Amino acid sequence: MPPKTSEGSPQPSTASSFFTVPPPIKKLFDKFPLATYPANDLPQRSPTRRQGNQLFVFTDAAGARNGRPSFNPQCLKWQAYLKFVGINFETTPSNNHASPTGALPFLIPSQPIETANAIPSHKLQKWAIEQVHCEEEQQLNLRFEVYASLLDTRVRTAWLYMLYLDSQNFEAVARRLYVEPATSNTLVRAALGLQLQQAARDELLKTSKYIDVAELEGDAGNAFEALSSLLGDDDHFFGRPNPGLFDASVFAYTHLILDDSLGWKQNRLAQLLREHQNLVQHREKLLGFFA
Amino acid sequence: MVLQLHVWGPAFALPSIDAQCLAAIAYCSLALPKDSWELVASSDPSVSPTGELPVLQNGAVWVSRFRSIVDYLRQYSKGAWDLDNQLDETSRADNIAFSSFIESRGQSLVDLYLYVTSQNYYGNTSPAYGSLLQWPNQWILPPKLHGAAKGRTEHLGLSSLDLQAMEDQRQRDHSAAVAAGKIPKNLIQRPRDTVSSFLGRTAQSNHFRIEALTAEFFEPLEAMLGRKAYLLTAEDEGTPSSIDCIALGYLSLALVPEMSFPWLRDAMRAKAPLLSAYTERLRRRCFGDAPIEIAHAFAPESVPESAPESPISWRAPGRISVAAVGTTLLSTLADSTPFLREIRKNNGLKKVAQSEDSGLSSTEKRVLNLHAESKKKDMYVSIATVVGGVALMVGYMMQVGMLSFQTEDEEEEVEEGSGEASEAAYPTVAEFLAV
Repeated sequence: MPPKTSEGSPQPSTASSFFTVPPPIKKLFDKFPLATYPANDLPQRSPTRRQGNQLFVFTDAAGARNGRPSFNPQCLKWQAYLKFVGINFETTPSNNHASPTGALPFLIPSQPIETANAIPSHKLQKWAIEQVHCEEEQQLNLRFEVYASLLDTRVRTAWLYMLYLDSQNFEAVARRLYVEPATSNTLVRAALGLQLQQAARDELLKTSKYIDVAELEGDAGNAFEALSSLLGDDDHFFGRPNPGLFDASVFAYTHLILDDSLGWKQNRLAQLLREHQNLVQHREKLLGFFA
Repeated sequence: MVLQLHVWGPAFALPSIDAQCLAAIAYCSLALPKDSWELVASSDPSVSPTGELPVLQNGAVWVSRFRSIVDYLRQYSKGAWDLDNQLDETSRADNIAFSSFIESRGQSLVDLYLYVTSQNYYGNTSPAYGSLLQWPNQWILPPKLHGAAKGRTEHLGLSSLDLQAMEDQRQRDHSAAVAAGKIPKNLIQRPRDTVSSFLGRTAQSNHFRIEALTAEFFEPLEAMLGRKAYLLTAEDEGTPSSIDCIALGYLSLALVPEMSFPWLRDAMRAKAPLLSAYTERLRRRCFGDAPIEIAHAFAPESVPESAPESPISWRAPGRISVAAVGTTLLSTLADSTPFLREIRKNNGLKKVAQSEDSGLSSTEKRVLNLHAESKKKDMYVSIATVVGGVALMVGYMMQVGMLSFQTEDEEEEVEEGSGEASEAAYPTVAEFLAV
């Protein structure tokens, strides 16, 4: 810190002698820095010229090149939504530490309106509406928020249990997707794995005293049943001609639950989901957007 | 066999202080014949093997949680005690979706209203618990529930309803400001942004956020209810369904209690007049016309005969014995000791899983057993980690210290145990600790 007393005050020596830097030391430090090097180049993997909108999601390098669906439901929801409303973007593999809000996904638009322009997930819909003037679907149907709560609570808790707390699935799926890309250090991997599991457990224990697997799965089964009768024979939820935010939210879970390439060891949710063929077909149709 | 429903005791003129318990009471009062069930205000989750209230006891069978109770009653009565058997497919879907909606949103609002809002917690909720709990639970349980409610609502960013947290925040800000002169700006930990920190740090400025939250909750319900008698069915064609019981549980806690800072009640009356009338109507039907007092629950005989007929028959909870008090105190002590708590939780779960007549299916038992086993493993791993860590630390200290001990020994051999040598050995250990 620059010594404040060295400037401006008329009688520095007596009043604040305690705070003044002794002249020899000041002389020495005035010589620093001895040399100033130019700034480092950006890493080679960083894009030299940003083309298009960049959506930062949990995915791997190959998935990002081919625009494959993300393996994280939150990321996949927004990835799918932006595709459905027809916004072009590229996905970039990332993790929570990179995000300004601490959570993925976020988007850096191609035309910066201001300098601080990363758009976090809760503002993505507003941004998309400004870009392509699509509808804000929450306003159109009172059941939107109500049925969305099924996904946010019942399906999500069952998903958390299946991915993180079922030990076989955790070893086969979550460890490969979330832990191993983060580091190659065994100790850090072990700690990270434990942290993830503990976070999931804490989340489930917030609402109940103990984790009752049968009840979690029963609730998820009920939720699928309700969603299935909401969809009915329509192509998209609420009888819309084009898929929208609610379709994206449902697809985010149904796709990942039914995606066998993730390598699930135990997949009770898929069994429950396959009882409702219209949801399975809904997922297959929407998967066409990612082809 | 008379079924017994154990719940948290009455408060605020309602038969229970907990929304899930109110829902269960409403369901029993609507679905069951009056003489087939009794309400017990045990107010102590330790009566239930799962540690949760509400819990339905049928002899040796214990069933906890609202939805499980509903399922159990349907099976037990072979379909006779089922409010939802009239619903068609769309209504069934709505029933599921609205219950999940009310449970998730309603729980946050009730948590904010009764527990997180400091005026209400210290002025109303805490005294209410004080009068319905027995010693020593009245000192042990309310802080636990208060903490759990705060944890559940943390993500809403409304902690500024909590005056105590506000005070802590102010102190943090103050110390940050003091430190600001000495520490570079970008190293000062930024205090967490609460809604009020954006809007000027007064309780009134929560208004916008609360306005949005309550509107999100009440508007779909008000629209769904419309002019109908119940959420899913009109009066002439049907009866209430289980969704009405859940709605009553949460909405009556919003509407009925007299609170010091009644923001939720005001919002409900302003935004959802039909819903308020519906709650009042359903409340009278399920819980009776007269407001419920604590005396009804704890001394049902003392209620005068002239009192209006109530749809609820109370049974006084067993008097608390010295042994029970001792157990509670001991278990609280044990629960606040690390490791011991885990062991106890596991044993409790296993007991439930292994008892023959717990009313659980074989898969459920297996799962519960597996869960208990895995928790046990987890605990052993954490014990092993701690022990291993300590051993590693001691080992490392020994290694560093050993060198000097050895030199000490050698020097001792040479110098025949002079004081200087041992003095020389201590600084090495101290240096290590200082590092």
